[in-house]
Amino acid sequence: MTYARLVPQLARLAILLIVVTFVLGPLTVAVFGGFKTNGELLASPFGLPSHWNTEFYSALLNDPGFWKYLGNSLIISLSTVVLTLIVAAAAAYVFAQIRFFGSRMMMSYLLAGLVFPFATAILPLFIKVRDFGLLDSYWAVILPQTAFGLSLSILLFKTFFEQLPKELFEAAYVEGCGYIRFFWRFTLPLSTPILATVGVFAFVQSWNNFLLPLVVINSRDLFTWPLGMMQFRGEFLVEWNRVLAFITLTILPAVVFFVAAQKYIVAGLTGGAVKG
Amino acid sequence: MANVELSNINKTFGAVETIPDLTLSVPDGSFTVLVGPSGCGKSTLLRMVAGLEEPSRGKISIGGRDVTHEEPSKRGISMVFQSYALFPHMTVEQNIDFGLRLSKTPPEERQKRVDAAAEILHLKPLLKRKPAALSGGQRQRVAIGRSIVRNPDVFLFDEPLSNLDAALRNQMRVELADLHERLKSTMIYVTHDQVEAMTLADQIVVMNAGRIEQVGAPMELYNRPQTLFVAGFIGSPRMNLITGEAAAKEGAKTIGVRPEHIELGERGAWKGRLRFAEHLGNETIAYIDSELGELIIRINGDHKMKPGEVLQFQFLQEHIHRFDESGRRIQ
Amino acid sequence: MTSAASIHNRKSRSIFADLMSSKGQAVLLLLPPALLLFTLFVALPLFDAAYYSLFKWNGYGTPTDFVGLDNFRQVLNHGIFWESVRNTLIVLAVSLFIQLPLALGLALMIYEKTPANTLFRLVFFLPYILAEIASGLIWSFVFDGNSGVASAIFKSLGMDPVFILADRHWAFLAITLVVVWKYFGFHMMIFVAALQSVPKELLEAARLEGAKRWEVVRFVQVPLIGAAIGVSAFFAVVGSLQLFDVVIPLTNGGPSNSTHTIVTYLYSFGLTRNRIGFGSAVGVLLFLAAVGVSIFYQYQTNRRSK
Ligand SMILES: Nc1ncnc2c1ncn2[C@@H]1O[C@H](COP(=O)(O)OP(=O)(O)OP(=O)(O)O)[C@@H](O)[C@H]1O
Ligand SMILES: [Mg+2]
Repeated sequence: MTYARLVPQLARLAILLIVVTFVLGPLTVAVFGGFKTNGELLASPFGLPSHWNTEFYSALLNDPGFWKYLGNSLIISLSTVVLTLIVAAAAAYVFAQIRFFGSRMMMSYLLAGLVFPFATAILPLFIKVRDFGLLDSYWAVILPQTAFGLSLSILLFKTFFEQLPKELFEAAYVEGCGYIRFFWRFTLPLSTPILATVGVFAFVQSWNNFLLPLVVINSRDLFTWPLGMMQFRGEFLVEWNRVLAFITLTILPAVVFFVAAQKYIVAGLTGGAVKG
Repeated sequence: MANVELSNINKTFGAVETIPDLTLSVPDGSFTVLVGPSGCGKSTLLRMVAGLEEPSRGKISIGGRDVTHEEPSKRGISMVFQSYALFPHMTVEQNIDFGLRLSKTPPEERQKRVDAAAEILHLKPLLKRKPAALSGGQRQRVAIGRSIVRNPDVFLFDEPLSNLDAALRNQMRVELADLHERLKSTMIYVTHDQVEAMTLADQIVVMNAGRIEQVGAPMELYNRPQTLFVAGFIGSPRMNLITGEAAAKEGAKTIGVRPEHIELGERGAWKGRLRFAEHLGNETIAYIDSELGELIIRINGDHKMKPGEVLQFQFLQEHIHRFDESGRRIQ
Repeated sequence: MTSAASIHNRKSRSIFADLMSSKGQAVLLLLPPALLLFTLFVALPLFDAAYYSLFKWNGYGTPTDFVGLDNFRQVLNHGIFWESVRNTLIVLAVSLFIQLPLALGLALMIYEKTPANTLFRLVFFLPYILAEIASGLIWSFVFDGNSGVASAIFKSLGMDPVFILADRHWAFLAITLVVVWKYFGFHMMIFVAALQSVPKELLEAARLEGAKRWEVVRFVQVPLIGAAIGVSAFFAVVGSLQLFDVVIPLTNGGPSNSTHTIVTYLYSFGLTRNRIGFGSAVGVLLFLAAVGVSIFYQYQTNRRSK
C-alpha cells in the first residue's frame, strides 16, 4: 500500500516485539527458573537452563498440599460460577422481560456494585461472615465473591436477554407458557454464549482472588492456591527456583484456560466495558 | 484536462483475481457510469482510481499524469461513499471543510468555498448541525458538498443514492445531473440502477466478472448491445433471448427482441398463451408462454387481456438482435 | 367520587392479581436471591463500615466505645496514610498518563483483523488474566537484588546490584511498572474493540481528504472512540483506588511503610491490627473517593453526549 511504507512497518514491528519481550520476559524467566538449581538461577537468571532439572516441579506435583490448594480453588471457583450463573441470570431475566413497579430502582441498586471497590467493606464483611459462622469455610469465599460479581454479571445477562427476539416470548405466552417456564425452556438454552462469557469471567475472578480468602480463611486445609503460594514463598524464602516452579504450575492452567476461553473473556470485558 | 486512463489493470486479492486485465478511457468532462452485477469489481475499480486500493499490475493516469502510486489526496479526485462516510462528531460545516482545514487553506478562502457549496446544495440552514440530525438525502448532500469544496478534477461516486427511498432518489438524480452540468468535471459513477445509468451517463461501462463487456452511450448500448450479456443486462423489462429454430432462421445462435418490439395481431407468425398481465396504466407488460419459450411483451396501456387467452405475435424484423455462439453480436 | 374509588379498587385488585400471576411468581422467585446476596454481602457491609467507623473496636463482641469522628481524625493525621494516598495517586497518574496512551498506541497498531495482530493481542492481554499475586511474585523475583534479573542487569553493567524493592526511591516505581505490565492489555482490548467498530469508510474518507496517518488518528479515530477512552480511564482510576494484590508479594508495603496503597494501608493498619473501627474509617474514605470518581465520570459522559 502507498500508505504503509516499509520504514513505518519495520518500526511498528520493532515496537510490538519490544512489548512482547516486556510481557513474556518475566513469564519465561519463571518457567525456566523452575528448572534451574538455585546456584544457576543466581548466576544466570534468564536464558535456558543448562540442565533441565525436573525435580523441583516433580516435588511439587508429588506434594499433596499443592493439590489441596488447587482443589480448594477449583471447588470455590466452580461453585462461584454455578451460583453466579443461576442468581444473576434469574435476576437479569426479570429486569429484561418483566415490567413492574420498582424494577428500575432495583436494577440501579444491583448495578451500583460496579463502582465500589471491594476493599471498602472488607472489614465489615469479615465481621458479617464471622457472625454468620461461615469463617473458615468455602462459603465464606463463595458467597461474598458471588455477591460482588453480581453487578457485572446481571448487566451482561440483561443486555443479552434484551437482544433476544421479543416475538419468541409472545408466541410462547400465547401458547400458555409462563414466565418461569419460558426462562428455563427458552431463555437459558438460547443464551449459551453469554452463559459462557459470564461463567468464564466469574471463574477467572474467583481463581485469582486473593484478598477475600486472605481475610476469611485461616486454616491451611482450606487455603486457595494464592494463599498457598504466599505460604510457600514464606517457607522457601531463598529457594527462588522452587517458588518459580510453584508459580509456573499454577499459572500454566490459567494460560491454557485463557487461550481456550479468551473469546469469552474478551467478549465479557468489552461488552461490560462498552455498555457499562 | 482530467481524463482518466486505466491501462491493463489487474487486481488480485490473495489468490482471487478480481480484475484480470482491464483497459478503460474516461474522457474529460464525461459522466461515466459503471454498471454490472454484484461482485463484478465496480467498487474495486473505483477504489483503484481513488487510490484506496493499489492495482496489482497496470497503470492509472489522471489528466495525463501517472498516479498509479500516488496518494489519494494528491490525485485531484474526491469520492462519495454509499454510506456517506460523514464524520459523526463534526458539524456539517466541519465535515465539509475538513480537507481544507488539513491543507491549511486560509479561513476566508475556506468560508468562501463552503458557502458556495452550501449554496449549490441547499445546505445553508444545516451547517451547524451534526450528521445524526440530518435526513438521508441531506446527508448525501453533505457528502457531495465535502467533495465539491476541494475542486476535484474527477468525482467518484459509489452507489451514492442506493440508501435513499425512491422519491428522494429521483430528486437527487436530477440534482446530480445539474451538478455535472454546472461543474463540468469528470464524473465516474457506480450504480445498480438502470434508470440512473441511462439518464445520467453520457458513457456507460458494462462490467461482468472483472471484464468490460461494452462501453458506449446509453442509447447505443440499448440499440446495439455488442454481447448477449449487455443485451440481457440493459433494459427493463429485460430483452427476450431466444435460441433454437427461430434463431437459426435468422442465421444466429441466439436472437434478442426487446418487449416493445413484439407486435400482437392475427398476422403474427407465433402463438402463445397469456400467463398474466401487469397493467401499469400507461403500458401493459404481458408474460406469455409461447412455442419459443417464456416471453415478455410490452404493449400500450388500454389493452384488455385475460390469463389463458391465446395470442398471436411477431417480431419487428428491423429490431432483432443476432448473436453468434460466443455471444457476440452479428453485425 | 364513586368512579375514583372504583378506579382505585380496580388498581389494587390488579396489583394483587399481578402478584398471583405468572409474572408475579417469576418476580418473587427469580429476583430475591440476587437481592438477598447483594444486600447481605455488598450493601450491608457498606453501611456497617460507616457505622463501625464511629467506634473504637477490636472486632470482638459488639462495638460500644463510641468515639465519633475520632477514627477519621486519626487516619487523617497519620503520615503513612497520606503516603499511601500519594502512592495511590502516583499509580493513578501512571495508569492514566502512561498506561492508557501506551495501550491506545498499541491498539492503533494491532486493531486490524489479521492473524498476526490476533496473536499480538492475545500475548498483550495475557498478563491481565494471570493472578495479581502470581504476577507480583514473578516480578519480585525479577527485581530481586540477590538473584533476580535486575541484579544480573546491574552486574553486567558493572554496577553494584540495587535492591530495587527495598529502596525507598525505586520500590514504588517498580510497583507501577508491574501495574502497567499487568493491566495495559486490558485497556488495549477496550480500545481495540472500539477501533474496530469505527466504519472503515470514515478512515478512507479522511485519507481522501488528505489526512496523514496521525491526522486520521487525531481527528477521526480518537474522537470517535471517546466513550471507550472514558470507560477505560474510569476503570483505570477505580482500579488504582483498589490496588492491593500486586503490592503484597512485591513489597508488602515496605520498606518502612513507604509503598502502601490505600487498601494495603487499610489491611495492615486496620485488619491485621484488629482495629475494625479505624480500618472501616479508611474504607469509608475510599468509598467516598470512589463515589466522587463515579459522579465525576457520570457528569463528564453526560456533558459529552450533549
Ligand atoms: N479487500 C478485499 N479482499 C478480498 N476480496 C475482495 C476485497 N475487496 C473486494 N473483493 C472481492 O472482489 C470482488 C469485487 O468486489 P467489488 O466490491 O468491487 O464488487 P462490486 O461490483 O462493487 O459489487 P457490488 O455491486 O455488490 O457493490 C468481489 O468478489 C469481492 O469479494
Ligand atoms: Mg460495490
